Amino acid sequence: MRELPELFDLGVKVRSLAYLFLAGASLGLLTLAFPHSEVVRDRELVILAAVAIALAAVMYALAERMVEWQLHAFLASGTLILSLANYYVEATVLYPLLYTWTALYAFYFFALRTALVHVGLIAIAYGVVLGIVAPPSAVVRWLLAVGTPLVAGVLISRLLVRLRSEGAMADQRARALQQSEARTRLVLDTAPDAFVAVDGDGIVTSWNAASERMFGWSASEAVGKPLRNLVFPPAERESYDERRRALLDASEPVKVMRLESDLQRRDGSTFPAERTVSRTRVGDDVVMTAFMRDIADRRRAEEEREQLLREQLARAEAERTAEMVSGMQVLVDAALMHQTVAAMLEDLVVKVRAVLDADGAAIFLADEPGRLRLAASAGGDPDAPDPEAFAFGEYFAGRVALSGEAMILEQPHPEDLADTHMRNVGLESVLGVPLTIEADVTGVLVVGTTARNHFGYEALTLLRLAADRVALAISHARVYEREHRIAETLQRSLLPERLPTLPGLDVAARYLPAAAEAEVGGDWFDVIPLTGGGVGLVMGDVAGKGLAAASMVGQLRSALRAYALENHDPAKVVEQLNRLVWMEADASQMATLLYAIVDPHESAVRWVNAGHPAPLMSFGEHPPRFLDGGSSVPLGVLPFPSYDEASAAMPPDSTLLLYTDGLVERPGEHIDEGMSRLAQRMAGAPEAPEDLLDHLLRGLVPATGTPDDVALLALRSLPVSDSFGLEFPSAPDSLAAMRSLLRRWLGHAQAGRDEIAEITTACGEAATNAIEHAGSERPFRVTGQLTGRTLEITISDHGGWREAREGDQGRGLALMRALMDTVEVTSAAEGTTVKLRRRLDE
Amino acid sequence: MDALVGLEIEQRGEIVIARLEGELDIARAPSIGERIGDGVPTSARGLVIDMLPLEFIDSSGIAMLFGLARRLAGRRQELRVVAAKGGPVRRVLEIVEFDRAAPIHTDVDGALSSIA
Repeated sequence: MRELPELFDLGVKVRSLAYLFLAGASLGLLTLAFPHSEVVRDRELVILAAVAIALAAVMYALAERMVEWQLHAFLASGTLILSLANYYVEATVLYPLLYTWTALYAFYFFALRTALVHVGLIAIAYGVVLGIVAPPSAVVRWLLAVGTPLVAGVLISRLLVRLRSEGAMADQRARALQQSEARTRLVLDTAPDAFVAVDGDGIVTSWNAASERMFGWSASEAVGKPLRNLVFPPAERESYDERRRALLDASEPVKVMRLESDLQRRDGSTFPAERTVSRTRVGDDVVMTAFMRDIADRRRAEEEREQLLREQLARAEAERTAEMVSGMQVLVDAALMHQTVAAMLEDLVVKVRAVLDADGAAIFLADEPGRLRLAASAGGDPDAPDPEAFAFGEYFAGRVALSGEAMILEQPHPEDLADTHMRNVGLESVLGVPLTIEADVTGVLVVGTTARNHFGYEALTLLRLAADRVALAISHARVYEREHRIAETLQRSLLPERLPTLPGLDVAARYLPAAAEAEVGGDWFDVIPLTGGGVGLVMGDVAGKGLAAASMVGQLRSALRAYALENHDPAKVVEQLNRLVWMEADASQMATLLYAIVDPHESAVRWVNAGHPAPLMSFGEHPPRFLDGGSSVPLGVLPFPSYDEASAAMPPDSTLLLYTDGLVERPGEHIDEGMSRLAQRMAGAPEAPEDLLDHLLRGLVPATGTPDDVALLALRSLPVSDSFGLEFPSAPDSLAAMRSLLRRWLGHAQAGRDEIAEITTACGEAATNAIEHAGSERPFRVTGQLTGRTLEITISDHGGWREAREGDQGRGLALMRALMDTVEVTSAAEGTTVKLRRRLDE
Repeated sequence: MDALVGLEIEQRGEIVIARLEGELDIARAPSIGERIGDGVPTSARGLVIDMLPLEFIDSSGIAMLFGLARRLAGRRQELRVVAAKGGPVRRVLEIVEFDRAAPIHTDVDGALSSIA
């Protein structure tokens, strides 16, 4: 059996025994006071009682100083005294009952075994007494005397053991509880959150250190006070009351709530707090606990985070808007650049796609009313065939056009997309806006994306804005294109389509518009065959560009032609032209002009230079030289300037080059540099004018083009040889040319003036016949051969020689015969050949 | 090729003077002939064709002149032609014996005064 903790200390036991002895003695004396049996020896009993009392007194006095065995001894002595008392009453009185007292005492205070020893002692002592006295029913008396205390004692002992252990356990439990309470208290005390417990009336029963810190009330100040006034600001108190009542009334045994409200500190300042309240009901008792937390920091952190988020969102928004604005600008810039409509649309569609981050973009134009055509597409399959034009109302784009409103279509069916290039892209969302000019739909702009819901309100807005600009730009570009086309056509009409065939002369021309310049320039040139075989060469440069310049060029060109054909004097021609410019042109308009007349017959060139770069002449192997002289002011600058002509020899095998300043002017350098570059390039250049011009352009014009228009005109006086061969169109106009050529050649052959005239006339007749009677589209051919002083000229055609009629037309043959030495006419199926021969004078 | 040949018609009293300049070939001869013919009113006494400035004439030009001569003769109007002596025009006129159709003078005044 486990050692049980002593419930009583020795002093208590001793004193109890002392009381027992006293009680026993008193009882014994009391029984003597009443009438009793004779056998009882009073005197002895009184002595025994006195002894017991004395022993009690001793015990009482020595209580604290006694030791265990002494107690047992005293108890044993008590048994002895009782036994003696039983002896002195002859064992007939009920004194054995007193044994029960001692036994009970023993069982009460001692362990079971020890108590049983004392009972044994009682049994022996009484047994002895009974043996001596030998009363009647001694055994019965002995059994009762011993049995009673034994049974009672054992029972008592059991009970006591139970009580003791239970007490010990309860003790343990209580201690454990105490410990756990202590621990909890420690935890609560050190908890960062304020912990408060209140009872059913709202009075604080627990207040931890954190609460002290949070609210400024110490635990001693808080405990016992109503929580209401300690922590709640006045505004919150009513709702607290309500809530507390609700909490109390709630039926669940345990109820937890999380609440947020402002709480108040001792100094009156409030702060936002969160509290977790728990109400527990145990029987009739209610306990409410709350953990409270200052969430000011948390709130602030939350607010800051929200603020940051808002700022970030705003910044992202602003960035997106800025992007969109710059995207808009990009679109607008693209739309407003001077380009052809087609180029602009190609550029735009790519930019729209980039700005909106779309997967595809397309622009449709309504070239015909009510019909759309795909004008530009980006982002789709380039190999897909272009779609046909379609009507308003067909396809998504057509529906946009028909409604005149922006539309969004989710999950478009590929076949619904008019742009065939987009069909396989897998577009999930398409957005279309109409391009309108003054309420007329002129086209549709469609963008598509593969991510659904990609196009939000901003995309739509941006696209609408872009569409407005695009539509405007398209109409501008169209007008511009039209103007440009008009100007171009005009300009092209102002430049000679074909250069005339000039016998004995070879001529070529080039015109290069300025690079990256959409407007036509004011350069023009002309080649004007004049009577007598001469040719007028014109190189002009009207200041300005566009339609204004082009129309001025037109006027000047026509006027100059007219003047030139009227008058063979270059100075007079230019004078007249100047008057025209002076009177007709705007104040700002002026023109430079070089007008030269080349007379191959005279082998000379005469010119007038109105502010134009000097022409360049090359002759054979000689270095090219500029024909300075004859210079004057440009046209339109003075009302009556004087124009003096200059002249220079232009023998056969020489080349004259006219040009505009675009060929020689480069930004940042003096024009002289360009001109010397030109002269260098001309030296050693090919002779034939076409090749010469190619050579010059290759060497002088950069691949990127020139900032200004370039016009070039080269005229070469063919070297005259002893023979020549030329073809002429079978037209009356060819006769003068042929005559001019002949004169030249004959002049070269050193023929006399009359000879030249006569031979020319004769050939003219043959040629006239060839033209007239041959009557075919094929040209006639004139060849000449000088052998010594004999020349032979052959005119052949492809037609049949009709026999001359008598009368007027017969004179031709007569003339020929009269003017030449011999005339041979050979008529064949392929044509007729007339051979004229004459011997020249020495 | 305009203005290969130039024509100026002048009325001096009752006589019309047609001045030809440049080169006259089949390209212009017929039209020139018509113009000259139209330029002579029926009231005129005569026509003088001044070919001093003319540098070239061929058979078509000659044919034109012959045609004019016939026409004027039909209207009883005189025709005179003026051509520089020794010039190419003169040579051609001589070859074709134009003087049978109308007198050839060397200067305009002479031609004028010859029309009585």
